[in-house]
Amino acid sequence: MDARMTRRGTWLAILVTAVYVFLIAPMAIVVLAALNAGDYLAFPPQGLSLRWFIRAAHTEPFVRSFLFSLKLAAWVTVASTLLGTAAALYVVRHSARFRNLLRLAILAPLQLPAILTGIALLIFFLATGIGTRGMRALFIGHTLVSLPYVFLTVSAVLAGFDRSLEEAARSLGAGPFTTFRRVTLPLIKGGVISGALFAFITSFDQFPVSLLLVSVGNTTLPIQLFDYLRFSFDPAAAAVSTVSVLMSVAIVLIVDRLVGLQAVSWGAQ
Amino acid sequence: MASTEGILRAGVRVAPRRGLPPWLLIAPTLLLLTVFFVVPYVNMVRMSLLVKPAIGAYEPEFTLANYARALLDPFHWRVMYRTFSLAGVTTALTLVVAYPVAYHLTYAPRRRQRWLLMLLISPLLVSLVVRGFAWMILLGRVGLVNLTVQRLTGHELVLIGTPAAIVIGLVHVYVPFMALAIAGALQNIPPELIQAARSLGASPWAAFRRVVWPLSLPGVQAGTLLVFVLAVSSYVIPILLGASNVLVMPMLIVQTLLDAFNWPLGSALSMVFFGLTAGVVAVYLRLLARGMPWTRA
Repeated sequence: MDARMTRRGTWLAILVTAVYVFLIAPMAIVVLAALNAGDYLAFPPQGLSLRWFIRAAHTEPFVRSFLFSLKLAAWVTVASTLLGTAAALYVVRHSARFRNLLRLAILAPLQLPAILTGIALLIFFLATGIGTRGMRALFIGHTLVSLPYVFLTVSAVLAGFDRSLEEAARSLGAGPFTTFRRVTLPLIKGGVISGALFAFITSFDQFPVSLLLVSVGNTTLPIQLFDYLRFSFDPAAAAVSTVSVLMSVAIVLIVDRLVGLQAVSWGAQ
Repeated sequence: MASTEGILRAGVRVAPRRGLPPWLLIAPTLLLLTVFFVVPYVNMVRMSLLVKPAIGAYEPEFTLANYARALLDPFHWRVMYRTFSLAGVTTALTLVVAYPVAYHLTYAPRRRQRWLLMLLISPLLVSLVVRGFAWMILLGRVGLVNLTVQRLTGHELVLIGTPAAIVIGLVHVYVPFMALAIAGALQNIPPELIQAARSLGASPWAAFRRVVWPLSLPGVQAGTLLVFVLAVSSYVIPILLGASNVLVMPMLIVQTLLDAFNWPLGSALSMVFFGLTAGVVAVYLRLLARGMPWTRA
């Protein structure tokens, strides 16, 4: 019986390892392809070098869209962190009758296909004359789909929050703002920062919403990379992609340190 | 605990309230959602009912012609069928691949769980374009898959441009979503329940089939729903891995809007697509509810 159980465990472990390889291998291959010294994208790579990173860093559209994406993601992070944290505070603490409805409304941009949201926004912006020039349209579209992540992570930490600490501060004479700054914020900091990081990466990597809202001269990095891939297929694209891979690894490590991935993986549902 | 909290809260309520009303916390978010989410969607519904003139975007005159065009063209139905079947196959495969991962993750020691979650979540945060590109490298003519197959069998296996490549890419994207949804349900199964089944003489397999699997069905439902809805509306992966050979609905809608510049027809197609997706989901939920009567509260 025991032998059969360990055998079953071994089979499960082998199967699961294969799935993790399937998940991770493509990312590893992008990084290896970027380090390729040869002239073509081929696997296995012909020698290692950083020449394609240098090439990518000298390709003007990549640099411009990278900087644009960073700036956009920074603004989106600020807006969605402020709005999402406030919304989570309200929904968890002050709403009773409409709690589920509000939760549903705030998460709706994640439930509806992002590409349809992009289309609806594009038509709306063009029909109202707001237009899609500059960063405005992208900023609004990205904030819609990034805010729910902040809402989810902050709600998750607020759910396990001991309110008697705040009440102690209030009864000792602290005003609502002091209480928030000195008691509440330090306690929910992990959730807020995790949410901000998820919001940042959601905006930085955003594709479906951006596809419809980019305008000439205001292109994000994923869209630029996408356009590039339709006509050329070389290791410079892999070098650009490596940025995205490294960023996601960094964010996973930071969130794990701050609140633990368990909290965001299961608490979020 | 509850009573102390009650006393404390009662004490606070007596204290004079200072500061701003709490609804100010939610107001900006609700404003954003109303103006830039609800209104644009409602506007899209309106747009789908407007007349498309020969010149210009639309005329403020109502018609059902766009819906007639969207529904009566057999070409649209072929694209629709392709989109839904690709998403269906993707969902089924994702479930098969993700279930063991979720099971393994749930019963792993806590320390290892942390590492496994990192492996599961980091690909989730990588840009879709990058993930599509990675599979272009792997599945292309000079890719690892083709080179290996050629060396072993002498035949070519170039998957890029086929529905198979799209399904592989989509399964890769959605496995973490599905695994996390199922693991969420598995977490809630009390271990005593499994122990009880085992001590009453059930084999490990029987305990799984009769206890764990039925109780994990809510997670399976949540995961399959999420993956199906995401897969149906995916755009990047089909366009990159299908090499523009395989047309799916989101591509058709974007083409109608941006290339053909036909907003009314594009909106009508979106609505039809939306309605069909909702219909498929409703049928699926009904069938599933019949399969797990114990979830009906």
